[in-house]
Amino acid sequence: MDFIQNFPFFSIMLSMFSGTVCSVLPRRAARWVNTLMISLIGVLSFVLLSYLVVRGESYVYMMGHFPAPWGNEIRAGILEAGTALFFCVIMLLSMLGGRKKLQEEVVESKHNMYYILVNLLLSSLLALVYTNDLFTAYVFVEINTIAACGLIMIRQNGRTIEAAVRYMIMSLLGSGLLLLGICMLYDLTGHLLMSNIQAAVQGILEDGTYEVPLLVTITLMSVGLAIKSALFPFHAWLPDAYGYSTVSSAAILSSLVSKGYIFLLIKIIYRVIGYNVFGNSHIIDVLFVFGLMGMIFGSLNAIQENDIRRMIAFSSVAQIGYIYMGIGMGTGVGMTASVFHILSHAATKSLLFIAAIGLTDVSGGSRHFIDLTGAAYRNKWAGVAFTVGSLSMVGVPMFSGFISKLLFAQAAVQNHVKMLPALIVLAISTILNAIYFMKTVIRIYTPEEGSEYESVTFKNMKTYAVTLVCFILLNVLLGVSSQPIVDLIEQGLSMFA
Amino acid sequence: MKESIMLLVILLPVISGILVPLLPFKKRRHMEIFLEIVVVINSLLVWGILLEFPEESFTLARFTGNLTISFRVDGMTMVFAGLVSALWPFATLYAFEYMTREERERSFFAFYTMTYGVTLGIALAGNMLTMYFFYELLTLVTVPLVMHTLSREAILASRTYLYYSLGGAAFAFISLIFLTIYGSTTDFILGGALDLERVGERTNTLLLVYVMAFLGFGVKAAICPFNSWLPKAGVAPTPVTALLHAVAVVKSGAFAILRLTYFSFGTDFLEGTWAQSVVMAITMFTIVYGCSRAVKETHLKRRLAYSTISNLSYILFGAALMSPAGMVGALTHMVFHAVMKIASFFCAGAVMHQTDRHYVHELNGLGYKMPWVFGVFTLSALALMGVPGLAGFVSKWNLALAAVESGNPLSYGGIVCLLISALLTAVYMLTIVVRAFFPGKDFDDRAVSEIRDPGWKMVVPLVVFSAFIVVFGLYSSPFVEFFQKVANGIY
Amino acid sequence: MSYFVLLPILFPILSGIFLLVRKEMKNRQSLLITVGAALVITTVLAITAMLTVRDEIFLVFNLTRTLPVLFKIDGVGVIFGIVGIIVFVCAGSFGFEYMKHEEHEKRYYGFYLIVFGILMALCFAGNLVTFYLFFELLTLSSMPLVLHTGSKEAVMAGLKYLFYSLCGAYMVLFGFYFINRYANTLSFSEGSVLNPELAAGHASLLLGAAFVMIMGFSVKAGMFPMHAWLTAAHPAAPAPASAVLSAVIVKAGVLGIIRVVYYLFGASFLQGTWVQSVWMTLALITVFMGSLLAYREPVLKKRLAYSTVSQISYILFGLAVMDPDALTGGMLHVICHSLVKAVLFLCAGAIIYKTGKTRADELRGIGKEMPVLLWCYTVASLGLVGIPPTGGFVSKWYLAAGALSSGIPGFFWIGPAVLLISALLTAGYLLPITISGFFPGEDFDYGGLKKREPGVLMTLPIALLTALSVLAGLFPNVLTDFIARLAADIL
Repeated sequence: MDFIQNFPFFSIMLSMFSGTVCSVLPRRAARWVNTLMISLIGVLSFVLLSYLVVRGESYVYMMGHFPAPWGNEIRAGILEAGTALFFCVIMLLSMLGGRKKLQEEVVESKHNMYYILVNLLLSSLLALVYTNDLFTAYVFVEINTIAACGLIMIRQNGRTIEAAVRYMIMSLLGSGLLLLGICMLYDLTGHLLMSNIQAAVQGILEDGTYEVPLLVTITLMSVGLAIKSALFPFHAWLPDAYGYSTVSSAAILSSLVSKGYIFLLIKIIYRVIGYNVFGNSHIIDVLFVFGLMGMIFGSLNAIQENDIRRMIAFSSVAQIGYIYMGIGMGTGVGMTASVFHILSHAATKSLLFIAAIGLTDVSGGSRHFIDLTGAAYRNKWAGVAFTVGSLSMVGVPMFSGFISKLLFAQAAVQNHVKMLPALIVLAISTILNAIYFMKTVIRIYTPEEGSEYESVTFKNMKTYAVTLVCFILLNVLLGVSSQPIVDLIEQGLSMFA
Repeated sequence: MKESIMLLVILLPVISGILVPLLPFKKRRHMEIFLEIVVVINSLLVWGILLEFPEESFTLARFTGNLTISFRVDGMTMVFAGLVSALWPFATLYAFEYMTREERERSFFAFYTMTYGVTLGIALAGNMLTMYFFYELLTLVTVPLVMHTLSREAILASRTYLYYSLGGAAFAFISLIFLTIYGSTTDFILGGALDLERVGERTNTLLLVYVMAFLGFGVKAAICPFNSWLPKAGVAPTPVTALLHAVAVVKSGAFAILRLTYFSFGTDFLEGTWAQSVVMAITMFTIVYGCSRAVKETHLKRRLAYSTISNLSYILFGAALMSPAGMVGALTHMVFHAVMKIASFFCAGAVMHQTDRHYVHELNGLGYKMPWVFGVFTLSALALMGVPGLAGFVSKWNLALAAVESGNPLSYGGIVCLLISALLTAVYMLTIVVRAFFPGKDFDDRAVSEIRDPGWKMVVPLVVFSAFIVVFGLYSSPFVEFFQKVANGIY
Repeated sequence: MSYFVLLPILFPILSGIFLLVRKEMKNRQSLLITVGAALVITTVLAITAMLTVRDEIFLVFNLTRTLPVLFKIDGVGVIFGIVGIIVFVCAGSFGFEYMKHEEHEKRYYGFYLIVFGILMALCFAGNLVTFYLFFELLTLSSMPLVLHTGSKEAVMAGLKYLFYSLCGAYMVLFGFYFINRYANTLSFSEGSVLNPELAAGHASLLLGAAFVMIMGFSVKAGMFPMHAWLTAAHPAAPAPASAVLSAVIVKAGVLGIIRVVYYLFGASFLQGTWVQSVWMTLALITVFMGSLLAYREPVLKKRLAYSTVSQISYILFGLAVMDPDALTGGMLHVICHSLVKAVLFLCAGAIIYKTGKTRADELRGIGKEMPVLLWCYTVASLGLVGIPPTGGFVSKWYLAAGALSSGIPGFFWIGPAVLLISALLTAGYLLPITISGFFPGEDFDYGGLKKREPGVLMTLPIALLTALSVLAGLFPNVLTDFIARLAADIL
C-alpha cells in the first residue's frame, strides 16, 4: 500500500484535529491554523488526485481491522479527490474573502468558534466525499447539518436565528428521510457498505422480490437529499439562510454544503442503487421535472427580489435545478454536466457572494438595489468580479457558466424525450438569469452624482481583492480549458460504476 | 502571418478602446486624432486582408472537443467586414462633432471603438461558436453605449436591449449544440455542414431548432415580435443609433442568420420545408409591421428605427428564400440599406444636434435652412422607397427577382409585402420631406431663422454616403456580380 | 446622332434644377424670359428629335446588367409627346400671367420644367425599366405642383396624390418583376415580348401580373376604384398646373397601359381573358360614375376633375376592347381630351384669377364679362360632349364603332350605351355654365357687370388650344390615318 493512500483519512482527521486545536488557540493563531490546514488538505488532495490519475483506478481503504462486510471503509477515486481539492480551494477563498466581514459581523469571542465550525464542516464534507459506508455518510450528514447551523447562527441577530431554525427543521426532515431510506436498505440487503449493498440490490432485482420497498427506499433517499440540497420546492429555508448569515458562511453554504449532499446523492445513485436501477425507477423523471421547475421558479423569485444577497440566494435555487436536471437526464453525459456544474456553480456563486459584500459595504451596508447605484465605481474590484460572476451565470463564452450550459444542452440533445423541455427551459432560464443579473450589473455601473458613500481602494482591501482575482481566474480557467476537467470527471464517473 | 492579422484587426480597436479612458490626453482634439488614426488604420488593415485574403483559418483557442475559436475570411466576411470598415471612419468623424454636446465622451468613444473590433470578430468568425462568442460580446459592449445618457429612459432601454439580445442568444445557442452533434463540423461551409445520415429521422426536430435559432439571432435583427428593443434603444446618441442600430449590431443579426441558413444548416436541408414557410411568413409580417409602426411614430429617430426593423426583414426575407439568388438579394440589401439608413440617421442626428428638435412635427420649414442635411435626407428617403437609379431599387430588384425565381407562392406574397412596405416608406419618409420644404402658408419664418447646417465633420460623411447611394444605384453591376460570386461559393 | 433624344429630356430638367437652386431673381421679367426660352428650346429640340432620330435606339447606361436604360422614339411616343408639348407650352404661357397672384414662382417653374422633361422622357422611353424610372420621377416631381399653394388642403391633396401614385407604381413594379422573369426582353416592341417556352404553364400567373400592372397604371389614369386622389389633387393645384396634370400627366398612365398591353404582353395574350372583362367593366363603371359625380359637383375645378376621371376611362375602355377601331378611338381621345381639358381648366383658372369665383352657380352672366373666354369654353365643352364637328365626336365615333365591331359578348352593346349616357351627362354638367353665362336670366343685375376679359397672355393659349381641338375635328383624316396605321401595327 502506498503511503499516499492514507491521504483521505489524513485529510478528514487533520480537519477535525485543527478544529479541536482552534478552540484553545488565540484568535489570530486559530485563523492561521485554519487557513494553513485548509491549504494543506488541498495540497494533500491534489497529490492524491495526481496519484489516482497516474494509477488509473480507484482503491478502497480499510478503516480499522475489520474487513468488509463488517468494517468501515474509505474509497478514493479521481472524482472524490478532485472534489475534495475543489472544495478546499473554494473554502479557502471564501474564508479569505469574508475574513474582514467576519471580524465586523461576529462577536469577537465567537471567532474561535467559527473556525471550529468551519473545520468541522470541512471534515464532514470530506467524509461525505470519501466514505464507502452508508452509515458513516449519515453520521457526517448530521455533523454537517450542525456545523452549517452554527455557521448561520454565528452572526447573531433575529433573522439568522430564525433562518437557522428553519434550516435545522428542513435539514432534519431531510436527514430523517435519508435515515429511513438507509434503514430500509439495511433491512433489504443486510449491508451498510456501498459495494455490498449494490451487489445485494442486484440480487433483489433478479429475484423480483421487494421491488416496491426498493422503490420506496430510493424515493426516501432522493427526497431526503433533495430537501437538504434545496431542490425546488424544498427551498424555502434557503434565501434567509444564505441571505442573512455572514458572507463566508453564505458562500460556503451555497457552494459547498448543498453540493456535498448532491455529491452524496450521485454516489448513492452510482455505488449503492446502481445507475440502471435508478434510471428505470422514474424517480429520475421526478428529479428532472423538479429540476426544470427549480430553474424557472428560482429565477422568477430572484427577479422579484430587491435585496442583492437574497437575489443571489434565489439564483442558487435555479442553479441547483440545473444540476438536478442533469442528473434527471439519465445519461452519462448529463451526469458529467451536473458534476461540472457543481464545480462551476461553486466557483461562481461564492464569487458572487463575496463580490456582493464588497458592493454593499460601499453603499452604507444597504443591500437594496437603489442604494447600490454606482457601487461598482466605489469598489472597482468588486464591480468587475460581480460582472464576471454575472456573465458566467448568464452563460457568456470564456466563463465557466457557458461550459456547463454547453454540456447540459449537449446532454439534452441525446435524450430524445427530455430534449425539448430541457432545451427550452435552459433557454428561458438563461433569459431570466440575464434579467436579474444584468439588471444588477447595469445598476452598479450607473454612476450616481454626488454619492455620499466613500470609495475604497486596493490598499484597504488587499486580501479581498486578491481573493476576487483568484475567483475570477478560477472561473476563466473553468471556462477556457474545460476539456481536461471534463475528461477527469468522465474518468471519475466511470470509476464509480 | 496573414492569419494573425485577422486577430490584430479585432484586437486593435478593442485595446485602443480600453486605452482611451486610461491615456492622459491633454485636449479633446488629441483623443480625436488618436481614435481616427486607429480606426483608419484598422479599416486599411481590414481592406488589406480582404484584398489579399488568407486561405487558411486561424485557430485561437480550443474549448471542449471540436469547439474552437477560429477565424477565416470568405465571401460573406468580405461583404460584412468591408461594409463595416468602410463606414466606421466616417461614423467616427461624425461622432466627434455630435458628441460635443454630450457628456462622458471618453467612455463613449472607448466602447464605440471596442464595438468596431467585436463586429469584425463576427464578420471574421470561422465557425458557429466563434460567431456566438462575438455575438454575445457585441451585446455587452454596446449596452454602455445605449445607456450613455443615463436618463431613466436610457437605462430602461439598455435593459430591454440586454434581455432581448441575451435571450435571443440563448435560443441561438441551442442550434450551436445541435450543430456540434449533428453536423460534420461547426465551421461555416457554403451549402451547410449537417451530416444528413446522423440526422436520420430527427428532421423535424432540427427544423424546429432552426426556427428557434432564426428567431434567436433574429432578435438582433429586430424581427417581429422581438423588435421592441430597437426603437427604445433610439435614446442612445445618434452615432450609436446610426452606426450600430442601423448597421453594425442589427446587421450582425442578419449576418448570423445568413450564416446559419446558408453555411450551417444548408439550403438543401431547409428548402421547401415548413421551417422555411414559417420564417418567411415571419419576415413578411415584420416587413409590413415595421413600416406601419413607422408611419404611426412621430419621434424622428424612432420612426427611422421602425423603418430599420422593416428593412432588416427584407434581408431576412432574402435569407428565407434559400436560394443563391435570395442570398444575393439579402447581401445587396445588407450593404445598400446600410448606406441609406446611416445617411438618414445622420441627417436626423444633425437636426437634433443643431436644433434640438426630436419630433416630426417640429421639422416644418427646416429644409431651406439646412439644405445639405435635408437634401441628403430626401435622397435617402427616395432611395429607401426604391426609386430607380438609387441604391434601394437595386436591392429590392434583386430580392424580388429571387422571390419570383423561387416559384414559391408564399414568396410572391413576399413581393407584395415588399411593395406595400415601399409605399409605407414613402408615407413616413416623404411626409418629413414635405414638411421640411413645404411648411405651409401660415408658417412663421422667424422660428427657424437661427438654424444652420452643421459643420464639415458632419456634412462630409453625409455627402460621402449620398455619393454611395447614387453610385450603388447607377453602377450596381460590379457589386451585384461580386455578391453573386459570394453566393455561388466562388469566394 | 441618336443621342439627340436626350436633349429634349435633359435640357428642361437641367434648366428646372438650375431655377430651383439659384437665388431668387430680382425681377419677374427675367424669370419669365428664362422659362419661356426653356419651353421654346425644348419644343424645338423635341420636334427635331422626333424628326431626326425616330425609331433609333439609344442606350444611356445599364442600371444593372439586365436593366438597360434606353430611349426610342416611336409612333405612340410621338403622339403623346406632341400633345404634351402643346399643352405644356400653352399652359406655361398662360401661367406667366396667372402665377402673378401666387408665391414662390421660381419654385413652381422649376418643377414645371422638370416635369416637362420627365414627360418627354416617358414618351420616348424605349423599355419598361426606363418607363418605370421616369414614371416614378414624374410622380415625385409633379407633387410640388399640387401642393404649391401650401394651404393645408393642398398639402393633403399633394400627399394623397403621391401615395396613390406610388401605390400604382408599386403595383406596376410587382408585375414588372414577373414579366422580367418570363420575357425575352423588356424593350417595347409591337406584339408580345413573352418567351413562349418560359411562359408555358404560367399563363394564369402572367395574367395576374398583367392585371396588376394595368391596375397600377390606371391609378395614374384615375380609374375606379383608385380615382379618389385625382379629384382632390387636380383642383388643389394652381390652374395651369391643373391643366397640365389633368390633360397630360394622367395620360402617362394611359401610355403606360398601352405599353404594357400592346408592347409587352401583346393584345392576343389578353384578348378574351378575365383580365379584359374586368378591365372593361371597371372602365365603364368609371365612365358613368365620373360623369355622374361631375354632374353633382358645384365647384367648377372639381367638376372638371371628375370629368377627367370619366373621360380618361373612355380611353381606357377603348384600349380594353383591343380592336383596331377602338384603339384608334382611344388614342384620338387622348389628343382631344388633352386639348379640351386644358382649355377647360385654363378657363376655370382665368375666371378664378379675374373674379375669384370657384363655384359653377356663381358664374351667371360671366359670358357678358369675358365673352372670348366663355366662347372658348363652350366650344371645348362641345368637343368633350362629342358634338360634330369637334374632335371629340370623331374619337367617340371610333370608340363606339370599335366596341360594336369587336363582338365581345355583352360589352359590345353595353359599352356604347354607357358612353352615350355619359355623353349626355357631360353635356349636362358642362353646358349649364355656358347657358347661365350668356343668358343669366331676367332677374339678373346687369349693372354689376364690368369688362373683365383676361389679358392676351391668358386668352391666346386658350384660344389656340380651342382652335386645335376644332381643327382635329374638322380635318380628322390626318390624325386618323396615322393612328389607324399605328393601331394596325401594334394589334
